[in-house]
Amino acid sequence: MTRRRVVITGMGTVNPLGHDVESTWRALLACDSGLAKTTLFDASSYPTTFAAEVKGYDFARQVPNADRHRHAGRHCQFALGAAVQAWRESGMEACKELDRSRLGVYLGSGEGSLDFDNFTSLLVDAWRDGRLDTAAWAELAFQRMDLYRETEQESNMVVAHLAGEFGIRGPAFNVLTACAASTQAIGEAAMQVRRGDVDAIITGGAHSMIHPYGVTGFNRLTALSVRNDEIPTASRPFDMTRDGFVLGEGASILILEDYALARRRGARILAEVLGYGASADAFRITDQDPQGAGATASMRAALADSGCSPGDIHYISAHGTGTKQNDSVETKAVKAVFGELAGKVPVSSVKSSLGHLIAAAGATELITCVLAIRDGILPPTTHYRTPDPECDLDYVPNAPRKAAVRVCMSNSFGFGGQNNTLIISAFR
Amino acid sequence: MADRRVAITGLGVVSPAGIGIKPLWESLLVGRSGVRPISLFDAGKFPCRIGGELADFSARNHVPKDYRKAVKLMARDIEIAVAAADLAFSDSGIVTRSAGADKMTIEPGRLGCNIGAGLICCDLDELGLAVNTSVTDGKFDIRAWGSQGMANLTPIWLLKYLPNMLSCHVTIIHGAEGPSNTITCGDASGHLTVGEAARLIERGGADVVIAGGAESKLNPMGLLRQTLLNRLCADGASPQQACRPFDAAAAGTVIGEGGGLLILEELGRAEARGARIYAEVVGFGGACDPAGPDVTKPTVGGLDQAVAKALADAGIGAKDIGLILAHGTAVAKEDALESAAWDQALGESARTIPATAVTGAVGSLFAGAGGVELAVAAMALLTQTVPPTVNFADVADLCHLNLSTHPRGAEIEHVVSGAFGTGGQSGACILRRYRK
Repeated sequence: MTRRRVVITGMGTVNPLGHDVESTWRALLACDSGLAKTTLFDASSYPTTFAAEVKGYDFARQVPNADRHRHAGRHCQFALGAAVQAWRESGMEACKELDRSRLGVYLGSGEGSLDFDNFTSLLVDAWRDGRLDTAAWAELAFQRMDLYRETEQESNMVVAHLAGEFGIRGPAFNVLTACAASTQAIGEAAMQVRRGDVDAIITGGAHSMIHPYGVTGFNRLTALSVRNDEIPTASRPFDMTRDGFVLGEGASILILEDYALARRRGARILAEVLGYGASADAFRITDQDPQGAGATASMRAALADSGCSPGDIHYISAHGTGTKQNDSVETKAVKAVFGELAGKVPVSSVKSSLGHLIAAAGATELITCVLAIRDGILPPTTHYRTPDPECDLDYVPNAPRKAAVRVCMSNSFGFGGQNNTLIISAFR
Repeated sequence: MADRRVAITGLGVVSPAGIGIKPLWESLLVGRSGVRPISLFDAGKFPCRIGGELADFSARNHVPKDYRKAVKLMARDIEIAVAAADLAFSDSGIVTRSAGADKMTIEPGRLGCNIGAGLICCDLDELGLAVNTSVTDGKFDIRAWGSQGMANLTPIWLLKYLPNMLSCHVTIIHGAEGPSNTITCGDASGHLTVGEAARLIERGGADVVIAGGAESKLNPMGLLRQTLLNRLCADGASPQQACRPFDAAAAGTVIGEGGGLLILEELGRAEARGARIYAEVVGFGGACDPAGPDVTKPTVGGLDQAVAKALADAGIGAKDIGLILAHGTAVAKEDALESAAWDQALGESARTIPATAVTGAVGSLFAGAGGVELAVAAMALLTQTVPPTVNFADVADLCHLNLSTHPRGAEIEHVVSGAFGTGGQSGACILRRYRK
């Protein structure tokens, strides 16, 4: 039985370095930093005062039907912009034979932002004798809270917006496996194309946790960099001086489709999805398995699914968050999988420039893999200065590198231990 | 690939009408609802003051001793999932790491997990306590919060409320190192997880997967949001009779809390170990409503398409269906649309095939709904019994399903179960009676 081949025919992104694919790629290769002082709220007294925000995004310009999405929250606006780009590039709109009930959507989209001011003022105004008076709270809440602000927070609402925008009638999924979400979404979306459940599927992720409680949550976990005096270079994956990740936001969307459809309609094929692997650490909610068994299993599963051996992989787009633990564990896992090839396969983390887009990270990173294949150039790990004996791979430090890249692996590991790996290749 | 078939070998249910599949099944057969006045918080100023609240529930009884401390780190949604997982594995006879790493009867890497979840509300008292340390002149002071206030929250505060923590705690407790996913598509989540998990087993990515969902929106934020959506009934004289799927007097749903997890297992493996097999999962379909994001318009998420795909996937027609397990939210407009979707998908048979819905007994369980519905579907196949629709009395004008007020014996070869949620996604699964 020959299995259906899954190809990528469109890509779009809105992220801290750019509002489209090409400007993002140029910025990454120029080693720009998307990090700056937080402007979305007053974070001046927080342990971390900076973030990788999307700056100056013009939703109405990016999305022709923006008025149809007037209740869309921040991350949903990013997703719509990225999806419009991807859809346009795929040329799918002109495809007469596309049956919209065979068009799916599979996102790894985060929750929408809380209506912070109203939500928080209610906790203050209905606070009586050391606890919340929910009767008083209810009376005030019905005056202050807005239906759409509330319902848009459910993480399936971005799927709803995309379904409306593109007339999707096929299977519709959202997954929220923390930092691994959009890699998992793309992997599962590829499985649906491969099995023939859909002919084409809109996939990727969107997230913004740069709001007062999001940063609070990560600061309390001590997961974020606190290098407030060296903001542009604070994200330092694999570097000895790394002190946490830098919270980013954005969305990246890809169009996957059955190769047979792409060929029939003469679509330009950007790359092929060869393999997908998933695993769970089943270790602790707060820590990764220190031996990297889960990460290892995920990479091995993707290799097996793709039919590739480690020697076939030309580049690894690392999860590489810049936390002490992740980067050493990921290094250990790469060594376990690649053996003596480990030092020879280039590994880089674009989070060094982009920050960590959480649910949207994996899809954004996969796009950079497609571009690496297209242009024969590897995006660097920026701000890499001080080697860490526990991180001793080739991290493509500080400058892009020319390389003949045909097959890439991309890793994402979520808080709580859900791991996912994708393998893509140049299309032949 | 059809040589790898998928069996259901364990059911774990946590619901207001029973914790465990047997108590829930008993409640359904006698028409008992678990809806009662809300006692978890003072709901006196909400228009709807009733809900499907869990009675005598604690996750502590469902985790190994050395994991009890971690229960404090679990939002209610997570507690429900952890308890349902324990019940499901126990029911299946598969021994997991919860009994000790050396006792496992399944290879960790071949055990997957896929648990649907919703938007988890943080504990408002817990957050409020911290927030109220940062108030200046009666207003929240974000600078005070950043420099001191937030330190009043436990360091792992965020991890109590991430939706993937349902899956993560379950994988940790049971040593499930295979693929693990978290689907967040409202009421459709349970069917989508079970469908995806069945595909995973079918393609050889795992031998056993625990799948379904859990949620509790029975908190002030959940009650507020569902009230704003205008989906809830007002308080009636009798809370137990308030939630009335497909009934002429249906006046809205009530929020329940609960969830259902199913043990899906590769059929050959289940047979080889002599497991009790409730049913096989033989068809799955998903769909969505292209109408878009206007949540004020009722939607059933393209349920007719999901059902049609599930039938095609199973290779069967409407005449092969012996039971329709409907979603039946008891929101009158949704019930009418749902009935029309079944008509669309099954034709005239939709009005004659016996049908039932569980919402009347448990309320709306959101991400927890599908797992419970599929567990009930599996029981119906095993016992060849159609449970009554709790609180159904007189059929609503626009509803044409063949519902009953009493249990019915039947010859059921296949059950079709479908669900949909706010936001417009749907999923449907076909279960087949197991024969050796």
